[in-house]
Amino acid sequence: MSSPLPGQPVLSVRDLRVEFATRRGVLKAIDGVSFDIARGEVLGVVGESGAGKSVTGSAVIGLIEPPGRIAGGEIVLSGERIDNLPAEALRRIRGKRIGMIFQDPLTSLNPLYTVAEQLVETIRTHEDMTARQARTRAIDLLAEVGIPAPERRIDSYPHEFSGGMRQRVVIALALCAGPELIIADEPTTALDVSVQAQIITLLKKLCRDHGTAVMLVTHDMGVIAETADRVAVMYAGRIAEIGPVREVVSRPLHPYAAGLMGAIPTLDQDIGRLVQIPGSMPRLTAIPPGCAFNPRCPRVFDRCRVDRPEPIEHRPAHKVACHLYDPAERSAALEAQP
Amino acid sequence: MSDFVEVKDLRRLFDVSKPLVTRLIERAPKQYLKAVDGVSFSIRKGETFALVGESGSGKSTVARMVVGLLPATEGTITIDGVSMRDKADAAARQKLRRRIQMIFQDPYASLNPRWRVERIVAEPIRAFGLITTPDAIRARVGELLTLVGLHPDDGRKFPHEFSGGQRQRIAIARALASNAEFLVCDEPTSALDVSVQAQILNLMKELQESFGLTYLFISHNLAVVRYMATRIGVMYLGRLVEIAPARELFARPRHPYTRMLLDAVPDLHMSGRTRTPVGGEIPNPINPPPGCTFHPRCPLANERCRREAPAFIDGVACHAVEEGRVAA
Repeated sequence: MSSPLPGQPVLSVRDLRVEFATRRGVLKAIDGVSFDIARGEVLGVVGESGAGKSVTGSAVIGLIEPPGRIAGGEIVLSGERIDNLPAEALRRIRGKRIGMIFQDPLTSLNPLYTVAEQLVETIRTHEDMTARQARTRAIDLLAEVGIPAPERRIDSYPHEFSGGMRQRVVIALALCAGPELIIADEPTTALDVSVQAQIITLLKKLCRDHGTAVMLVTHDMGVIAETADRVAVMYAGRIAEIGPVREVVSRPLHPYAAGLMGAIPTLDQDIGRLVQIPGSMPRLTAIPPGCAFNPRCPRVFDRCRVDRPEPIEHRPAHKVACHLYDPAERSAALEAQP
Repeated sequence: MSDFVEVKDLRRLFDVSKPLVTRLIERAPKQYLKAVDGVSFSIRKGETFALVGESGSGKSTVARMVVGLLPATEGTITIDGVSMRDKADAAARQKLRRRIQMIFQDPYASLNPRWRVERIVAEPIRAFGLITTPDAIRARVGELLTLVGLHPDDGRKFPHEFSGGQRQRIAIARALASNAEFLVCDEPTSALDVSVQAQILNLMKELQESFGLTYLFISHNLAVVRYMATRIGVMYLGRLVEIAPARELFARPRHPYTRMLLDAVPDLHMSGRTRTPVGGEIPNPINPPPGCTFHPRCPLANERCRREAPAFIDGVACHAVEEGRVAA
């Protein structure tokens, strides 16, 4: 059960909806999101603040706290549905079959316990091992994530490590039980660029070696471009575009994705002026009808204001939720363009 | 063109000693952190000079000293011929104050949440007594808000009614309210999303063109700096390691640290590129390594680098470059 059948995705999310009940009514944080992640694959999830990328990650590991709730859809881990499991069963999956890496390594480690205590506890929770065996395994893990002199460093407290080393410890913790899937939520955002590069390289290598699937949530398109195999661009709780990372970066289809790529200053070319998307992402209380991006879209037409676009497979394995790519609209839209 | 801002041998120490009693018991000496150690640069009128570096490199401390929020331990800052420390220049300095403003990183923290936007933007006008009649002040505030892409009616609102990008626009309007000529911007877009960042950077460029503003731009994001800056200074552990015109710095980085930084930045169009990851992290600034502070991470370090701090010669502070051990 724990290893997926050949060809079966490690994670399969179908039409996921997450709602938050507030005084001002029900907010739809995630509204119909579907994607798969295969074994050994890194799926990048990008979007700006409020796009719903972190909530998607939390939903997969079952960490949506009330008043939030999963209002619909399915989450399937290696063929087994996990979104409707009781809390206790989910707790056993969390940490064992799904590992987690969060943004701030200082808050995801307990400051009062040594790294050894935290690693050994986690290993023994999920695997049948003696304390001594678990300690040996912990030292091996620390060596694998590139911590020098792990047999000495293992008895240090988190504050005795630098930021980059601390994030390595967090990665070791996530790898403890040999998970099938790792959810990394902004794993490099709190780090300096030179350290960020080290962590990205490490994460990539580990996934390749272990065949772990990774859902990499970040706002940094550069990190995605270097790390991910495929990327999902999220906007206002929905996936605007999903496809192979090179295609999305160099030939984005959705007007939002295109604007986003143009808005990022790059190192290797002179730009006179950055592409500017007018306005900002709508608040969840005021998502416009039709396509959520329509008030900011440079290529908006009547249908966008009333009819919500569904993902269309425009190129093989490359889906886009935009009426411009609807074969029925396409001829009309092309005619309208000079 | 003459230099508008001149910074010479700027140093700033922070006292990070333990409390007196602990020090007496442990017989520990006082401890200082050298946040900025001998930094010199100059900014020409109308240009954007950027300081880049990782956390702890001292770039924000330099910015704070330049605007006068933090006194320098040693060194001089001269802006438009007026010394910022010399007692003799006190009167001239007062006049100069109006012409210098700062834009901070976090637009959620830099605007008073209990003031309406019009009062926030009008504060420099009132403080310097530029306009006195309420009607004229209101008109000027409306004009400033329009200038940064907001509506004059937005003045009646409170800061919490705006998004991060709009708040940063308000901060820019406030900075321009006193007809400032020199803006010190400390990471003005790092709290913003990329599409909003693009809006703010474009706005700052437009304003620079229309008013001939001079910027000191602090950032850790090399791509942003490349887009904005005319000249760039790279800082590491409180020292400048390299200064070069923007284009040259990116085409031909000279200092090994600059090369490492450029190599480390993940970039959109480099997917699949094999990078050479650099080992190590920035050491503790309380106990920086002797000699060149970068030597523990430097692939070119030799005995001299471990012993002797390199002098800043011809735009770069590196023994390897000076000795020609590296293709410059």
